[in-house]
Amino acid sequence: MNIMNKVMSNKWIIFLYTLPAILLIAVLILIPLFLSGYFGLMKWDGIGAMEFIGLDNYIVALQDAKFWQSAKHSFLLAIFSGLSLIGYLAVALILASKLKGTNLLRKIYLIPMLLSSVAIAQLWIKVYNPSNGMLNSILMSLGVDNPPAWLADNDLVLFAIFVPIIWQYAGFYILIYYAALKNIPESLIEAAKIDGASPLQIAMKIKIPLVMNVFKVTIVLSFVGSLKYFDLIYVMTGGGPNGASEVMASYMYKLAFSSYDFGYGSAIGFLLLIITLIVTIVVRRATANNEEIQY
Amino acid sequence: MNFKRAFTFPAMLLVLALFLAACSGDDGGEAEATSSSDAKTVKFMHLWPEGSSAQHHRVVNEIIADFEAEHEDIKIELEVLSNEQYKDKITVLSTSDELPDVGMTWAAGYMEPFVNGNKFAALDDVVEGELADDFVAGTLEAFTINDSVHGLPLELNISTIFYNKQIFDEYGLEEPETLDELNEIVATLNENGVNPIALGNRDAWTGSMWYMYLADRIAGDKDALTQAINREISFEDPALVKAAEEIQNLVDADSFISGFNGLADEEAKSMFMSEQAAMYLIATWDLPNFTTNEDVPQEFRDSVGYFKFPTVDGSGTTDSYVGGPGVGLFVAENSDVKEEAKTFASYFVQQWGEKAVTDVGVIPATKVDTDALDLPQMYVDVLDDLNAATNITLYADVQMSASAAQVHLDMIQALFGGEVTPEDFAKTHEETLSQE
Amino acid sequence: MRRLGLTILYICLGLVAVFQIFPIIWLFTFSLKTNQEIFAGNPFALPLDPKWENYLKVFEGGIGTYFWNSIWITVVATVLTVLIASMATFAITRMRWKLSGLVLGIIMMGLMIPIHSALIPLYNMFLNVNLIDNPLSIVITYVTYNLPITVMILYGFYTTIPREIEEAAIIDGSSIHRMFFSIILPISMPIMSTTVIINMIYNWNEFVFVNTFISSDKYKTLTVGIQNFIGQYMTDWGAIGATLVISVLPIIIAFLFFSNKIMEGITASAVKG
Repeated sequence: MNIMNKVMSNKWIIFLYTLPAILLIAVLILIPLFLSGYFGLMKWDGIGAMEFIGLDNYIVALQDAKFWQSAKHSFLLAIFSGLSLIGYLAVALILASKLKGTNLLRKIYLIPMLLSSVAIAQLWIKVYNPSNGMLNSILMSLGVDNPPAWLADNDLVLFAIFVPIIWQYAGFYILIYYAALKNIPESLIEAAKIDGASPLQIAMKIKIPLVMNVFKVTIVLSFVGSLKYFDLIYVMTGGGPNGASEVMASYMYKLAFSSYDFGYGSAIGFLLLIITLIVTIVVRRATANNEEIQY
Repeated sequence: MNFKRAFTFPAMLLVLALFLAACSGDDGGEAEATSSSDAKTVKFMHLWPEGSSAQHHRVVNEIIADFEAEHEDIKIELEVLSNEQYKDKITVLSTSDELPDVGMTWAAGYMEPFVNGNKFAALDDVVEGELADDFVAGTLEAFTINDSVHGLPLELNISTIFYNKQIFDEYGLEEPETLDELNEIVATLNENGVNPIALGNRDAWTGSMWYMYLADRIAGDKDALTQAINREISFEDPALVKAAEEIQNLVDADSFISGFNGLADEEAKSMFMSEQAAMYLIATWDLPNFTTNEDVPQEFRDSVGYFKFPTVDGSGTTDSYVGGPGVGLFVAENSDVKEEAKTFASYFVQQWGEKAVTDVGVIPATKVDTDALDLPQMYVDVLDDLNAATNITLYADVQMSASAAQVHLDMIQALFGGEVTPEDFAKTHEETLSQE
Repeated sequence: MRRLGLTILYICLGLVAVFQIFPIIWLFTFSLKTNQEIFAGNPFALPLDPKWENYLKVFEGGIGTYFWNSIWITVVATVLTVLIASMATFAITRMRWKLSGLVLGIIMMGLMIPIHSALIPLYNMFLNVNLIDNPLSIVITYVTYNLPITVMILYGFYTTIPREIEEAAIIDGSSIHRMFFSIILPISMPIMSTTVIINMIYNWNEFVFVNTFISSDKYKTLTVGIQNFIGQYMTDWGAIGATLVISVLPIIIAFLFFSNKIMEGITASAVKG
């Protein structure tokens, strides 16, 4: 054990193994991050000279109804994405079981994940097209007279756009859960079977507890990913109509790149980061447990 | 185990090799570029990619080739991006003072921060020199900020309502001259299950054109919208409120295709062009699609006509248009090759004029003698209209500063969506504009 | 009873499968349609007169260079990311030191930055070190921006590796490098393949960084090529479809390959385990 301790706390090795990651992240992520906080202290159109205005941008942001509306939308997305994880875990449990055909099904299920946001946006724009879209064609053939204009309706657009976003990431989480489930030693499951456990019991008592660590990581990933989500919103609705589908990242983009209010946009970007950070800490605390699971 | 290890090392070597290849490959490229004699390189960025604007793209390349042939000491280095990407990249480049030597800009509100930030060079010498008297009256003004020209306009557009003659014939409809007549057409089309007007209001500048026209007609002789933007009158002027009311009347009468607030302009355009809607308000930059573009079925092109935006209750004249110059060329203030860049920009504008007419089918901002050219009839008609125009109101979102334009566009969506009353619509504008 | 349950389950699974495979089929038919068919026709209909020239148009647009750039940038960035992330995760989860939590926290912060906040500072930095319009800037950025998520995914698994494996290796007199490369990496093959797949997809489809940092045509990637068909005046939907089909094919092939790797890895570790 002594040798073990000595070898595994070799400072030089630790330094060597973490250095590339730390260096890259510090230079290419942390520096820009602090810079965006710094730009947030400026009145700057991104083009002319900067003018230091202290915390004004941040104070304005905190009173900006549009910002809070977009934050609310981002949080809704985070909650829906978080909830969908349970469904993905269930699908992964089935795919990782010994049922016939799951190998093929797994590959098929992950296909949407391979598509770029541009392709997914094109598809869903056609799904939602009010007059000859796929969804409304189906609805009309089912006898619905006035199917909604999904992306133009202020009350519907947000949820309409959540569907492709959540669907887009299904493959990502299923893949991770699948790998985690397949990592469980076969012997554990065999032993339970011999003891007469049903498949459901095996799933609940053995499989799910063993992938809990991974599940917690994915909760963080889905929250963080949702809070800073941008792609499909930008391509499919541009945050509209009139802000009804605006999220924090698209609002920030609009300010910085369309309104040339780069200082204010940076401040929003920095607030987004702080919010995400707080949420992450809360989520990690809420899901923390003391024991480290080992097989 | 050994097999696995045997795999790891070659993989790492491969990575290293690729890395080195990438670095050295690039060095080679740069050395080549700099060593090619002492020719000066002018960087030029434009937004007409080959895939979507083939004719524009080809003409630009021809002009560059001719220019390089005539100026052996100048080389043009080209970068082409599509519209949105172009705007984003220009923003990033300007923060680092890395604008291309020559690039494209929009007029008025868009270019103002660049001019005030001292990024665009003054082009008065170019305009007063070899280009004197070349531009159509009014086009240079939109590119003039602080009494100095900072952009050379390339296009001039007016917007009109294009319509499908076949659909109109089928239901015995005629070009409307008043808003009431337009409303009747809409009613007839709706009764027959035909989409009246294609509108992609996701981008909101499309809806803004409808609003601007109504404001122009209702206000009559005075250019209320422009005056309100220039703070000469309040945005809560009765004409501007009334125009907003008329928009909501149009919406309530189902004049526009369903879901217009969620559709992009390209989608609306495609619906009009696939005969899914009878009318479509757009600027003349789309003329090629209705006249010469071989990618569009001949049958459709033959069935497109256009009419001027109708008058409202006898007020206004149909010779007043919403439109203005589209993109123009800028020269970067801090360019190392500013003189060469100016030479190129000036050359480009001179060559562009006639080629724009004959090869691209758009209306240039420079004067062209069209009598000698063989042009499609619709094109000739538009040029005549343009010559007879009494007024051209520049697009509201181009006139306003970038942040006010954003409010305007959001408000346009809200107005069309029935989310704000005409009064609040005007009030929000007034508040925003008065804060600047 | 059980039989009935299974049948229902398979029906559900089958329905979901149809739903998931539909996009690819749709994309393919879309790429063969005219603008007219796309906007006026039944969205589920097959193209009447398949427009194969859409593909021709795309190839004439000089997609070859883009294609090659996409491939090598994706491969290099993916290999580097997974390797660097594995090393860091190993040190954080398996080695014993006080600051491991802090380092993990810093890496996790990398998850949170919205890329549009980073764009302008990054551009400026690359400009200062002369890496603008150099594919190296793209590779470095991809590696860095995918590191946090890769570490997070690996993290969940590394914490579950039994200590006994390391103990056995060390008692055998193995060095840490050897242990990492010849024991830890191979047994984490399933999760490594998973991160490889995820990284590949991200890198292959990335767009904003390439658009911003690269200006020469010879370094641009496939995703930028697609934008070529989205126009100010006219959008060629069919050609966009064709580009999308061409760009998704390599990633499907690579996905199927690595997807099998997940299985292989599992059998390998099961033998040992």
